[in-house]
Amino acid sequence: MTAPLIAILLAVQFDTTPRPVMAVGQTVLINVFVNRVDAWAFQQDWARTGTRAWSRNLRMGWEWDEDAFPTNMFAHPYHGALYFNSGRANGLDYFRSVPLAFFGSWSWENFGETYRPSLNDWFMTSFGGITLGEVFHRVGATIRDNRAGGMTRFLREVAALPVDPIGGLNRLIRGEWTARGANPPEHDPKDFVLRLGAGARFARRFSRDQNVMTTGTFLLDLLYGDQVGQPYTGPFDVFNVRLVLTDYGGLNALRASGRLFGANLNNPHGRNRHMLAINQRYDFYKNPAQSVGGQSVEIGINSRWPIGSKGYAIRTAVFGDGVLLGAIDAPGTGLGERNYDFGPGVGARWEFALERHGARFLRVFSQLEYIHAVSGASADHLVDFGGIEAAFPIARGLGLAASSTVFGRTSRYSDGRPRDQRDYPEARLMLIWWKIGFGQ
Amino acid sequence: MKHALALMTLVLLCPRPALPQHLPTPERHRRGLWGEFGFGPGYVRIACSGCTDVVGTTGGTSYLRIGGVISRNVVIGFELFSLLDNAFGFTPQDSAGATAETGTAAIIILWYPGRHGLYFKGGVGAAFGQFSIPADSGSGGTVVADTSTGGGMGLTFGVGWDIAISRKFALTANAASFVTALGDVVTGNRHVDDVIASMYNISIGLTIR
Repeated sequence: MTAPLIAILLAVQFDTTPRPVMAVGQTVLINVFVNRVDAWAFQQDWARTGTRAWSRNLRMGWEWDEDAFPTNMFAHPYHGALYFNSGRANGLDYFRSVPLAFFGSWSWENFGETYRPSLNDWFMTSFGGITLGEVFHRVGATIRDNRAGGMTRFLREVAALPVDPIGGLNRLIRGEWTARGANPPEHDPKDFVLRLGAGARFARRFSRDQNVMTTGTFLLDLLYGDQVGQPYTGPFDVFNVRLVLTDYGGLNALRASGRLFGANLNNPHGRNRHMLAINQRYDFYKNPAQSVGGQSVEIGINSRWPIGSKGYAIRTAVFGDGVLLGAIDAPGTGLGERNYDFGPGVGARWEFALERHGARFLRVFSQLEYIHAVSGASADHLVDFGGIEAAFPIARGLGLAASSTVFGRTSRYSDGRPRDQRDYPEARLMLIWWKIGFGQ
Repeated sequence: MKHALALMTLVLLCPRPALPQHLPTPERHRRGLWGEFGFGPGYVRIACSGCTDVVGTTGGTSYLRIGGVISRNVVIGFELFSLLDNAFGFTPQDSAGATAETGTAAIIILWYPGRHGLYFKGGVGAAFGQFSIPADSGSGGTVVADTSTGGGMGLTFGVGWDIAISRKFALTANAASFVTALGDVVTGNRHVDDVIASMYNISIGLTIR
């Protein structure tokens, strides 16, 4: 009886009252801080804004910028996650934090730089910031543990800082780095699969090339929640993240997809399960031959068919999507110094997997996306990405993973240039470690 | 027993908000399937890559919305919005007689923060634009227009107020902005790159709810 009583008393210290004024204030503060650091510490001329620049930006309105692919497609969404999480860290829920991402990005574009506001930045920072922000917020809450103490507690708080710095700073100011109490619901996703892997990546710049380039690779896979096992409780109650790093080019892939809405399509207590899902998706792929990414919303069905009674099952997913704004490189694309196009599009993907207790040990997948360029070349791009992945256990929590994927792109130009096609095959061999909390 | 007494004391000492005897049931702003249409003046500003300046002009706007209810404070809908102007040009020197129609087809969310009719709107979807500029005379002496269409994506944000005139109908005042990316537009021998049309409008509409 004593323990629950203490928990009730201590939980009071973790005030979850929504503080919208504080959230908006922190969003503005982020912009002021970043602008002043760029102006004072890095002596950037573009950061020396004032009423003249603000007036011109508001009068002239939106344009497309020429920033590098990683800047537009990763750094800006990460920046947007800071805005979004100023809301989440101040007790606002997902939907009430969404306007902060748009407001923070809009105000930065108009008042934070001397450059004209960039429409692609507004899209990528806002939509990407929402997706990554909610993922970071939940991952941060999972890393932190309000019941822990001492050095373990401190290290957990520090480890969560890179993914959710705004949440961490708010907790530090409120004295929540040391206070003990109940954890928020997002701390424990109940079902999860975490995989970390390291190994070698073999790639050719094109299929016809003879030289195979071998580099090191690192993989992080997180399945947070069960797409078919968990009833829908709120945005991003279920999400997955894949991060791939290589020692050739750094960030190779980052993909995050979170459930915005879900509904049972059959008896939730039945053996086979089918769930309708609407997901919000963030994609970033960059390799020596291809750069593609974007912000999407997809709708489809996740299914699970159990096999026998030892936890084996078949999982399938069939989804169609709308690309709100995508980016892709191809010969002759881009604008000025930018070597890739922006545009909306549509697509579809399917996946077939064999799993045991939620961990996929064989996965076959394919994805097709069409992007119509609205900035850059007068072009339409077709992207296909497919492959097979397999994992073989060699000890408890350890295994070998092998994968083979092909990334293809076909571009058609309306100005008479010939159609361009390229593909990029690669294979990976990794030692993986996994931790599974599934069906418990 | 000692712990149970401590818990009871804690529960009794905790301040509880005084609950009114008869809580009023908040009115739903819109129920079930709802629809709305309206008109009003607008302003469009066109920018493009490589253009040294932007051009802007006024025009008439119209919109049609249809949707459903997500919760007591949030409704979702599909919105068609269009702005038509008859004095359009990519540069201030463009001749009169040019026309442009730009618009969006978007999924929108209306959020009513309180019990009053005030709402905030946000949406994203597809955008379209059709531009006609008078060119050479045709064989019959008629003016032939170079017409080009563009398509892309758009964002919309706005604010509005439902003024109830009956349980089923409301007059709705709107102020909104629309940002649309339309891609390249080719009229005659002119190629205009990466057109962005930003539109602003105020309107009055009729809502069936």
